[in-house]
Order: sequence, then C-alpha cells, then structure tokens
Amino acid sequence: MNPDDMIGRLSGPLSLRSRIGNVVALLGGLGGALFIGLLWATEPVLPGRTHLAFGALVALGLAWAGYGTWALTRRTPLFALDRVIAAWLAVTATGLLTAGTVAIAVARGTWVSAAGILVAVTLGAVALVILVRARAARAALLRRKRELGG
Amino acid sequence: MTDELLVVRCQLGEREAFAELVGIWNDPVWTYVRRMIGSSQADDVAQEVWLAVVRGLPRLKEPGRFAPWLFTIARRTVANRLREEYGRHEVLAEEEQATADPADALVDRTELLAGLSELPVREREILVLFYLEDLSLEDCAEICAIPVGTVKSRLSRARRMLRDHLTEKGHRR
Repeated sequence: MNPDDMIGRLSGPLSLRSRIGNVVALLGGLGGALFIGLLWATEPVLPGRTHLAFGALVALGLAWAGYGTWALTRRTPLFALDRVIAAWLAVTATGLLTAGTVAIAVARGTWVSAAGILVAVTLGAVALVILVRARAARAALLRRKRELGG
Repeated sequence: MTDELLVVRCQLGEREAFAELVGIWNDPVWTYVRRMIGSSQADDVAQEVWLAVVRGLPRLKEPGRFAPWLFTIARRTVANRLREEYGRHEVLAEEEQATADPADALVDRTELLAGLSELPVREREILVLFYLEDLSLEDCAEICAIPVGTVKSRLSRARRMLRDHLTEKGHRR
C-alpha cells in the first residue's frame, strides 16, 4: 500500500471536522443536560408527562456527553491547535451555561439555582485553565518548531 | 527535514506534515509488518499501526525518538495480531546472557529475506528491526523492551538459526 492510500484510510481520525464535532458533542451534551436539569429542578409544579420529557432530554444530553468523552479519550487525537479550539469552545459553552443559570436564579430565586451557578462557574474556571494550558503547550511546540528551523 | 521537526509539526496539527511523515515511514512499517505476519494481512495491520500512531502522536513526549516509538507500536500491533491468530501469548521479554556480536558471521541480505519467514517470531523480529530497518542496537532494545545484551544474543541466535535453515535448504555458498 502506498503512502497516499494509507493517508486516505486515515482520513477519518485526521479530519478536523470530526475531531471538533466530538468536542461539540461533549460540550453541547453536558451543557444542555445541566441547563435542562436545572430548569427541571427549579420548576415548582409539573405534570407527570413533563417530568418524563425533562428526564428524556437530560438523558439525551448525557448520552451525547458520554459519546463525546469516549470518542475524545479513545478514538480521536486532539493536536495542539485542536486543543486550543476545543478549550475556546469550552469557555464559550460554560459562559453561556453560566448566563443561563444566572437567568434561572434571577427568575426563580431558589437554592438549587444558586447551586447551578456555582457548578457553572466551576466548570468555567476549569475551561479557562484548560485554555491557558492548551495555549502554553501550543506555544512551546511553535518555539520548538522554530528552533528546528521549521 | 528531520523526523523531530515533522513530528512537532504533526503535534501542532499540520496535516501536510502528517502526510510527509507517512510518506517517509510507511514503507519501513509495511516491510516490518509484512516480514512478521505475511503479505495477506500486511495492509490491515499497517493501517492499525498508523491509526495508533495518529492517536498517540499528541502525547509523544520525545519527538526526536519517533522511530523507536513507531516500531514499538508496530511490534505491539503485530504481537496482538499474532496472538489472535495463534490463540497463544507470545512471551516477548526474556533475559539472556549477552554475547559478542560476530560481525563476520552476517548472512547477506538476500538470503536473510528468503529465510526470514521460516524463523520463530522473536528471532524474525530482531533480524527485521536490525537489518531491514537499520535500527541501532539501542533502538531495538527499546522497541523490544529488553536489554541491549539480550538484543545481541538474540541476533546471534537468529543469525545462527537462519544460517542453519539456509544450509538445510542448500543455499550455502
């Protein structure tokens, strides 16, 4: 098999769209599940069918988050640039989540919504740390590339 | 361009660098795999090797040591395939007494290629890595996870077995 054929066979894991898609699945699933879970937990009175619907939506979000985690840890390589992009997506997603939880807290004013803000802010802090580390790792690689004459 | 620079560019996410890396190392990997398990499965196993390389490349700590790392992956992939095939575990780590490396006892490349497929996996592997892939004793030791002395003794035994085999076949010059 020649190198071009081999590159063709590796097009899946080498596709930027597929790698970033898995990051989006993880962040979207986790953020969505947390936000909907918070809405669910802060609703005062709900009929039985609505409980089921909320539960199904949370499960769906968690399933996407689980898939994204599995794909990112077992199947998809994240190179330096991907990590920076993924970290920015995480910062954006946790920022949106924080805004959502603050809006719920203002509207409902319960302790559960306050706890939701705490969780969202913690996730946001983790995302920021990941972003700083990803940028530092990429900068180190770029420095090494220059040293090697690239 | 050095392997280290190519690997660093790959780790940065430059796809064209990965294409160059595959261009350089695909043939050595394929040759190793083919010599170890035969032509019929070589394409699939070589693809498995490269998939593992793609997945592991972001975590490679020493880009300058790409070749031994690559062949460590290739060796593990081949071992997994052989294990599946034969349904038995290949014991690959063995401590042995180091012996001198008799340079004058080398068989030539053509004979080596012809007789390789008849050798046991462990001896075939060390001959392929050392003679066909031109890896150093130290790199072979790292790839096979054995001391350098064991590499030498294994090479010596492999050459002897190969010579005996070729003699039986009437290929002796």
